[in-house]
Amino acid sequence: MTRSSWVETSLSEVPKTSHDLSLSYLSPDARLAILTDYTEHRTRVLRGEPLGLDPARFPNQPWLAPAARGLRRCPPDEDVRGYGIFTFPYGPVTGGVPEAVRFDVRTYGERILELTPVTGFKRRGVLAGIAGLPLPDAALRVERMVGNLSAAHVTAFLTAAESARGLPVPERELWTRALALELQRIYNHLHAVARVAESAAQSVGQAQVHALSEEVLRLAGWAFGHRWLFGALLPGGPDRRLEPSDRRTIGTRIARISADFQTLWDLLSHTRIFVDRIQGTSPIPRREAIRWGAVGPTLRASSVGWDDRVHAPIPPYTDLFVAVPQGIDGDALDRIAVRVGEIQSSTLAIEQILDRWPAASGEIPPEPCVEAHRGIARVEGPNGDLIYDVTMQGDRVAGASCRSASEANLPLLALGSRQSVFTDFSFAWESFGFVIAEVDR
Amino acid sequence: MSTWIQQAVARGRLTTRFPWAPPNEEEAPITAHAPEVPPPATRTLPLAAPVCPTGAIESEGVRQGACIRCARCLSHGLTPTGPVDLMASSIALLRSPSGLRHEPPSVRSPSPGFRRSLHVFLIDVGSCNACNREALGLANPYYDSQRLGIFFTNSPRHADVLLVVGIPTREMLPSLSRTYEAMPGPKAVVAIGACALEGGIFHGNPHAALPLSDHVPVDAYVPGCPPPPLAILSALWRVMRGPPSREGP
Repeated sequence: MTRSSWVETSLSEVPKTSHDLSLSYLSPDARLAILTDYTEHRTRVLRGEPLGLDPARFPNQPWLAPAARGLRRCPPDEDVRGYGIFTFPYGPVTGGVPEAVRFDVRTYGERILELTPVTGFKRRGVLAGIAGLPLPDAALRVERMVGNLSAAHVTAFLTAAESARGLPVPERELWTRALALELQRIYNHLHAVARVAESAAQSVGQAQVHALSEEVLRLAGWAFGHRWLFGALLPGGPDRRLEPSDRRTIGTRIARISADFQTLWDLLSHTRIFVDRIQGTSPIPRREAIRWGAVGPTLRASSVGWDDRVHAPIPPYTDLFVAVPQGIDGDALDRIAVRVGEIQSSTLAIEQILDRWPAASGEIPPEPCVEAHRGIARVEGPNGDLIYDVTMQGDRVAGASCRSASEANLPLLALGSRQSVFTDFSFAWESFGFVIAEVDR
Repeated sequence: MSTWIQQAVARGRLTTRFPWAPPNEEEAPITAHAPEVPPPATRTLPLAAPVCPTGAIESEGVRQGACIRCARCLSHGLTPTGPVDLMASSIALLRSPSGLRHEPPSVRSPSPGFRRSLHVFLIDVGSCNACNREALGLANPYYDSQRLGIFFTNSPRHADVLLVVGIPTREMLPSLSRTYEAMPGPKAVVAIGACALEGGIFHGNPHAALPLSDHVPVDAYVPGCPPPPLAILSALWRVMRGPPSREGP
């Protein structure tokens, strides 16, 4: 592989300016365009046509262009110059945030006046580096780009690639992807709840919820051979034929974990200290959530009931009932409550997936295709809507780009942290569920 | 409060028997095991080498440090029967079949100072977040690293061990060196995960500045993608206690 093929822009620019390059957000206009596409998408899905959005509608990749350039950093709502006001860098190496990211915090001691996330420290140029690779090798890199969201990224990437090649997908593969996605959603949501409980000094609560998260990871390891689902969804991989007894085991264990978690959540949500710390912390009003293009649980906590699994579903979600829990105030409590609701909703989805597991794998021979084609797909990952845009040349990837949920939500962190005190920062950070690996990819 | 205690007691003992018992099947799924080469190695290795996406399979053996446990070689004769908790003081020692089964993977004791407790600081220099999560997982009741005297600390000033995850990107090098300098002696560096060892699936990435030992002195290498929590726990345990030959658990 040549050196130049690893960088998305020009090589000389990357080490110095990647802080600025790595952030590109979906503008509100582009978001509306995508929102209105779903009726057509549903029709295509019902007709049995290739999955994914119609690339002809989005010639300029609106979600990838820095259309919201001015919106990257929330403007301060008061004059942040003055006596005693200073900026201190928090990160990229901190105890509080386990990933490499820096926050420039403007403050006079306690209250955050302005917060600017600075990313790019762990940029690895993964998507630029996969150009020219065969699909299974490219997918191997995509899943190892964001470890804890691997199923969501691989599903979106493969759906876009399959859409580009115009290939239908074997039915069982679709159901396997959905099962992996829901398992991944559950262990990420459990982790988020545990981290917030830890920040609120709920040691017993966080230990118990972390233990449940570990149980789901072990279940994933047992069912798919890998705790983080690496390799589980790759094309040409081993056929994961879940026998009826395996499906029963998965169903029983997930139902028990979900019930145990509900008991713990009842205890946590009646603990005054826990609720006091997160209620009203870093609120995102509905209007702001829409304006800045929030996605996932962050958007739903601000009482916007958008979920790709319901509104722009890829099969088998077209056949499943998915509950969409919503919040009202959009604060940290609502974001956590939405995740708690989604753990229940994912448990229900897994039940349905296991019940209707297809008997035959329905192999479809791949047809040769040599022209370059472009495909777009969106998938509801654990922390929100994920969009992949993939161009294929035959069976090789010619180019790929993505808009991740963490990228879309990052300005909201700046908005929500403003006005709050620095000790509340960890609640804000954990309740949004950011993964810096998908911003610095 | 009493309800919390009832709830916790009702679930019973969850914690692993490590280091007094080998890992069970739940603790180590199939991809946690190092791939091994069944004899005759001279026939298996050339067949499996072309399918390895990281070039970890060579004619003399498997470079375990570069292996990402993708399991592609398993359909070409290799078997997932290797140890879960591999660790060595140099990447070159992590090669099978020679020197993996017969010499127990060990670490030179970085200092006689770590006997009863070890404070660990985690630094991410370009990971996918899976290694971070596995390392943080040591605090959950299933592993409970604190019962062995292993604690995670929020400041390098209080740390004995720097736990490095991810492929070292150029942007993180200054932070990595400064963090290491901020730690008081005696101190040790443990690199975990294929990315930190040999770049893993991202080997050859121009954003990365490998090897890690060019920037900080590394005392122990733990392969895996990501290494399961038990492998990380075992590595920290061995760093704390010194070579296993001198003193058993």
